Amino acid sequence: MKNILYTAIAIGFCLGLGKLVNFYFSGLPSSLYGMIFYCLLLQLSWLNPEKVSQANHWIIKNMGVCFVPAAVGVINHFDLLKQHGFTIVLSIFFTTFALLTFVGLAAERYLTKPDEHG
Amino acid sequence: MLIDYFNTSPYTTAGIMSSLSLSLLTLLLYQGAAWLQQKCQLIWLNPMLLTIVFLVPFLLYSQIDYQSYRQATQFIHALLEPATVALGFPLYQQINTIKRHWQQLISLLVLGVIIVITLSFAATMLLIHQTEIAIALSLKSVTTPIGIALTEQLSGDSSITPFAIIIAGFSGALLGPSWLRLLNVHSKIATGLAIGAASHVIGSIVLTKQNASMGAYSSVALILSAVLTAFIAPLLIPLLITLFT
Repeated sequence: MKNILYTAIAIGFCLGLGKLVNFYFSGLPSSLYGMIFYCLLLQLSWLNPEKVSQANHWIIKNMGVCFVPAAVGVINHFDLLKQHGFTIVLSIFFTTFALLTFVGLAAERYLTKPDEHG
Repeated sequence: MLIDYFNTSPYTTAGIMSSLSLSLLTLLLYQGAAWLQQKCQLIWLNPMLLTIVFLVPFLLYSQIDYQSYRQATQFIHALLEPATVALGFPLYQQINTIKRHWQQLISLLVLGVIIVITLSFAATMLLIHQTEIAIALSLKSVTTPIGIALTEQLSGDSSITPFAIIIAGFSGALLGPSWLRLLNVHSKIATGLAIGAASHVIGSIVLTKQNASMGAYSSVALILSAVLTAFIAPLLIPLLITLFT
């Protein structure tokens, strides 16, 4: 993979900046500050988008594995799922469709031009 | 024997070996599941979901408690932070679309985020009465790294968040487009934004396969929703906690 070191240093630097901001101002998690810095440095052309593109794509494609240790924690909640599993799923389903309906209808009303349909 | 091996202290040789074995097992299972999904091209064969489906029975059978597993795989969990920073690249790629419609997009998604957090929190508190679960479920409409980071920051139960995010992702991605057509929503921008806001990355993947421009709008919504949720949730959730407890 090309420029993996460049991408790793760029991401590490932005994460470091994020940790610094989080330490002094708290608010958002440091990784989110880091994400905003990363976007900003790319936009200001301080980082080369072509150089980070390939390694960045690989990271995003494989990042799912980082969530596994947290998600396996569901092992501690079998009683909760046995008791409320159906309610939880139903609540997720209902609120997801409420959001879909709101954004879909509002965007159709306020953001579309006749040529954007289809 | 197996139980003692995996539940040993992480600082002994056996502890280091058990950490390596559990981390390696997690990585191998994930790669195997990713390979299977690529081979079968089925969206519901989600590698994260499959890995969990295999790991949980294995841990139960081997009587390895969650604390030992979490400690053994902490280096995988630590990679979550740099992986989240990497999401700044797709945000940069969509910056022109965001600039073009920024006022409408921000207003619409801010309202969407407030609605979904409030509805999810209220429904969970009324039905289950558990604050940690209510926090986790109210952060289900954002992409996983941000959902987990925010749940942990707000003292929610981050082990519930990934499951809620997956269910929100699949339900919206698979049934969302038909539901929107039923509501007479046909434009690419509205369909893309709605699916991206409600079903994040999973929705974006499904839409991109159908239509590239819908997929692009969907990515804009998922990125903006995540950033907006990160700003709104720390203000709104404590307010909801006070209201419902």
